[in-house]
Amino acid sequence: MSAAIREIRNDRVREHYYEIDHPSGLRILLYPKEHNSSTYAVFGTHYGSIDTTFRVEGEEPCTVPEGIAHYLEHKLFESEDGDAFERYAKTGASANAYTSFDRTCYLFSCTDRFYESLEILLDFVQKPYFTEETVRKEQGIIGQEIRMYDDDPQWRVMFNLLDSLYHTHPVKIDIAGTVESIAKITPDYLYQCYRTFYNLHNMVLCVAGRFDVQKVLDLCDRLLIPSKPQRIERIFKPEPPEIVRSRVEEKLSVAMPMFQLGFKESVTGAGRITTEKDAATDVLLEALAGDASPLFRRLLDAGLINESSFGYEYFEGDGYASVIFSGDSRDPDRTAEAIRREIASMRENGLSQESFERAKKAIYGRTVASLNSVENIANGLAAMAFSGRGLFEYFDCVANLTREDVVRRLEEQLLPQYSALSVILPLDES
Amino acid sequence: MAGIEHRMICDGVEFLGFRDPKFKTARMSVHFLLPMCKEEASANALLPFLLSRASREYPDFTKLEQRLAELYGASLSADVDKVGDMQVLSVAASGLADCYALEGEPVLQHLADLLCSVLFDPLLEDGLFPLDGFEQEKRQTIELIETELNEKRSYARQRCESLMCAEEPYGLSRYGTREEVAALERPQLTESWKHVVAHAPARVIVMGNCELEPLYERFCRAFRALSRGALVLCETHNRPAAPQVREVKEELPVAQAKLVMGFRTGIFQPQKEVAAMRMAMTIFGGTPSSKLFVNVREKQSLCYYCGASYNSMKGIVLVQSGVEEKNIEKARAEILKQLAELQRGRFTEEEWSAAKLSLLNAYRTTADSLGALSGWLLTQSLSGRPLTLEEAAAEMEAVTREEIVAAANQLALDTVYCLVGKGAAV
Repeated sequence: MSAAIREIRNDRVREHYYEIDHPSGLRILLYPKEHNSSTYAVFGTHYGSIDTTFRVEGEEPCTVPEGIAHYLEHKLFESEDGDAFERYAKTGASANAYTSFDRTCYLFSCTDRFYESLEILLDFVQKPYFTEETVRKEQGIIGQEIRMYDDDPQWRVMFNLLDSLYHTHPVKIDIAGTVESIAKITPDYLYQCYRTFYNLHNMVLCVAGRFDVQKVLDLCDRLLIPSKPQRIERIFKPEPPEIVRSRVEEKLSVAMPMFQLGFKESVTGAGRITTEKDAATDVLLEALAGDASPLFRRLLDAGLINESSFGYEYFEGDGYASVIFSGDSRDPDRTAEAIRREIASMRENGLSQESFERAKKAIYGRTVASLNSVENIANGLAAMAFSGRGLFEYFDCVANLTREDVVRRLEEQLLPQYSALSVILPLDES
Repeated sequence: MAGIEHRMICDGVEFLGFRDPKFKTARMSVHFLLPMCKEEASANALLPFLLSRASREYPDFTKLEQRLAELYGASLSADVDKVGDMQVLSVAASGLADCYALEGEPVLQHLADLLCSVLFDPLLEDGLFPLDGFEQEKRQTIELIETELNEKRSYARQRCESLMCAEEPYGLSRYGTREEVAALERPQLTESWKHVVAHAPARVIVMGNCELEPLYERFCRAFRALSRGALVLCETHNRPAAPQVREVKEELPVAQAKLVMGFRTGIFQPQKEVAAMRMAMTIFGGTPSSKLFVNVREKQSLCYYCGASYNSMKGIVLVQSGVEEKNIEKARAEILKQLAELQRGRFTEEEWSAAKLSLLNAYRTTADSLGALSGWLLTQSLSGRPLTLEEAAAEMEAVTREEIVAAANQLALDTVYCLVGKGAAV
């Protein structure tokens, strides 16, 4: 087998990587960093907790219990003759996996015996093995994991927010599912989802660090089991632009209240935004609420937030997009009010050229800095591949951004009528 | 990691520099090393936060942050940590290498100036830090202390450590207590600042994609302008295990219980046996193929996490796990059973090799992150027997089976801490 290799360069950041569409169906992204000590590999599938209703071309649509993507992640580490961790133990690689809303990734990092570890990675992810008994056993461990998150206020405040923003989109459901939904998981469901989403046409292999490109491709030629081309339709029930409720609260064992304030955006179907819009949003948020912004200062001076916990993110994936502000606060409602007021004021008064330039430089510098880490690069390549965007486009988009681009973004996002506040309060002293 | 430059700036102040153009950034940090002590802990803890919010040159928090944003989103961060019985106050600045600046600005020189300005030329009004900034940082430090409760896993670990080391400086909170912070007055902070910059032993660490010489010069100028008389580095105390195991059970409204078991080992820096102890604890509970992970989590499904960590400065080992309340005793028995196995030398070549490879991997990976490398250099320089990453790896490879067994047999259980759901404690 041989495949065309495309080189993707960026002179601004003086970096390059290679993109290969392997005949097996797999998209391969290779980012050499020869002066690094370590190498980081990610084998990922465009399959996350939100993919609970789907249709494979030529088949009937189907719905499966929540939590299967995460369950599969746990189970794939096992095979008939022992688990993948035992195999990695022999090469010294540090291995792990994670499931998010829209992807499941298996990864390792190592400084030695890279090709042996890559062989393990490509092998176990392509070889599912589950029995009634091994599936049942996992319910204990995952049950404990879910319980651990029940106590985690960061986790609860986020899911309470998502539940208030979204009517039907499965992003509102816990990534691991629920104790009830995982009880319904059977080997048959696992095999069905595996066959659908672990088709190589739906997957990507990303490697960053010290390695030889040709050797990786040779290994791929030998180990990848070609998949039939297949189209998957991700089905989401129509999601209205309106939110479910504007405020939600829960009491947990925390020392002070915690909040997340979300602004929901309309998304059509399973659509994703463009790199230009992504970059413009990042600069907008930096100018609006970054450490150098008047809002941040005002919230601090009023004693409403602290530097160690306040943050914001653009939370965006298949069929969902929201801006989320979060932090610890003695008065979450006043904090939310101040943020909403600042957004209104920026909409009215615009954004100064000075604060735009400053925010742009800050975003540019931090993004270039993220290329220090092979972990960031490999995971970034995977996330970008699944969203149809390229890793380097972002740098050029930020560098070429104008103030008008950012102002235009403000017109379509951060709309007050689509915002909700989630609050975690300390338990009453009894 | 060959090529670390080690130079003296002045009495008690060492410079550690490492240039590596593979990074997109450089990182520079100044660490002041003080004995952890109850009377001064909170004033010291507040200091790096207070200093890094303004200076005479940037008298306003927002002006300072705007300057950092203009320097391509450079970061200026303060931290307080415990290393053994030392309280370490750190202020670090990270920024883009000059060659990546869109307009070719000398980002790093500006950043070094800014770091020196906040450390050595603070904003003082009539000899005091301005009231608004002082109150802000007090509030934020109190909130940091209070919110430690939110993350139950690290909260349980801290509780176990403070109970176990109640009579040692290490048992104190790195921030001091909430009450001590609340009671701070501005004159104490001025005193603390004067004392720290003039007397505390310090380390200046500069690394990444930068020229070392001009940055070394910059820090020399700053330190040499002070009339310094350095104190000696404080020593860390190490104790034998309590004659009777201390058992503490606390209640909080949680769904999942936490079990933390604290052991004394009598093996600590700069002893050579540290390498064997680290290896023993990695076999015991440091990797997904360790005894604790495989037996307590995988075979018995007792918990989602179960691992052992070794603090080589204090010579203590903590085994932590998150378990269902009804399984606490079962988990505890299984943890002790696995320890006994190790102490009898019952571990396979495969388990040993896995631990060795995992440690070697961790050492080599450290060289790829400026933050990790900086942390390594700092702790090594305080260990009394500084090693390079290569030397530490070589020591690890030379450890023998007998040494591992001997190290494992040094573990003596001292404190068992359980955090359980409300209404369940007996």
